[in-house]
Amino acid sequence: MVNWRDTLKILIIVAGITLVGNFVGFKVNPIEAIPGMLVLLGIVILGLILAKLVPFKLPSIVYISLIGIILTIPGFPGADWFVAQANKVQFLALCTPVLAYAGIASGKDLDEFRKLGWRIVVVSIFVFIGTFVGSAFIAQVVLKLTGQI
Amino acid sequence: MHKPSEWKIHALVLAMVVISEFIGIKSFQVGPGKAVLLPMLYALVIGLMLGPKFLRVVNLEEMKLATPFIGLSVMLLIAKYGTTIGPSVPLLIKAGPALILQEIGNFGTIVFAFPIAMLLGFGREAIGAVHSIAREGNLAIVADMYGLESPEGRGVMGVYICGTLFGAIFFGIMAGFFASLNIFHPYALAMACGVGSASMMAASSGALTAVYPAMAKEIQAFASASNLLTAADGVYASIFVAIPLTEWLYRKFGRKDNVKRAAQADLAAGQEGK
Repeated sequence: MVNWRDTLKILIIVAGITLVGNFVGFKVNPIEAIPGMLVLLGIVILGLILAKLVPFKLPSIVYISLIGIILTIPGFPGADWFVAQANKVQFLALCTPVLAYAGIASGKDLDEFRKLGWRIVVVSIFVFIGTFVGSAFIAQVVLKLTGQI
Repeated sequence: MHKPSEWKIHALVLAMVVISEFIGIKSFQVGPGKAVLLPMLYALVIGLMLGPKFLRVVNLEEMKLATPFIGLSVMLLIAKYGTTIGPSVPLLIKAGPALILQEIGNFGTIVFAFPIAMLLGFGREAIGAVHSIAREGNLAIVADMYGLESPEGRGVMGVYICGTLFGAIFFGIMAGFFASLNIFHPYALAMACGVGSASMMAASSGALTAVYPAMAKEIQAFASASNLLTAADGVYASIFVAIPLTEWLYRKFGRKDNVKRAAQADLAAGQEGK
């Protein structure tokens, strides 16, 4: 990981890009979405700090998720406000910059990919389908059995 | 050669985001199902095209510079996911048994992909390739147990590369397709969206939300809770179940001559690639 200053700088840049995408794609006024974005930024920064402080190793995204969950769990002070603000930042608008960076960075894997051969591509497709369908199937059966659907 | 510039990358990403969001969500009919294309997938494809092989907008140095930005931008998305899980905690607790047990469904990859790998004449590559969905944690375990230069390592690396390049696109289209088939309840599909990487989850749960807009909140909550579980248990599932199980299957059903043939085929494919 790069240092704290760079981390913060890049997070703010990504936040800015997301607010623009949030406006173009979902017509949410960036000024209105700023508090929500600040909430998300705050969660990330807290999560990164926790990941540094807590002695046993877990990926920082686990701490970031947990803080996001705790702040918005029904009954937590201000939970409704946090949810209302975060809802102004569309989740699809947050995904687009991630995959834009991933696309630029993954361009270099295209060469590797060309060397793989078609057989591994076919196997990969079945890996994806198998994992997805396996999970959906068990979820469906258990949801039915427990009377949730 | 000019100095790689971070700002150039951010400016490109901004432009890609504006173009992609402007195009918006598109869906089209594929056989009995519907495929959903999301702005994030356009951004991914544009990004892939910017490299030296196609449009030559970015060079190798700039591609490398962009790598840590993926991890940082994903953190904002994860925070957002946290805020969608929180309000749904009561619902998640009710669906708790399904959420936990569907993790076992991740071994579905072995059921589906192992026979195919055997049919295609794979050797021990199959163990690395089919034991899991090959995200970073699984890659690390195979590297640790067999080494990345081993056949098992080549297998897991191959699926990892395919997943990085096309996983999000494939998951997005697959989820939209299954949603329109109406075999599985949207909640079950939402849990299935969480089996892979964050971008696979984003693309598939996004496609699902486009089909069932009224259930958007529940879908995102189930998908991200399932993804969080996979992040926590995926490594242990690989070590204690998936790898021993594929090893056993391979000893039982793997053909002895596959190992040699696969090695030769890979060599041939490698030379073709160059």
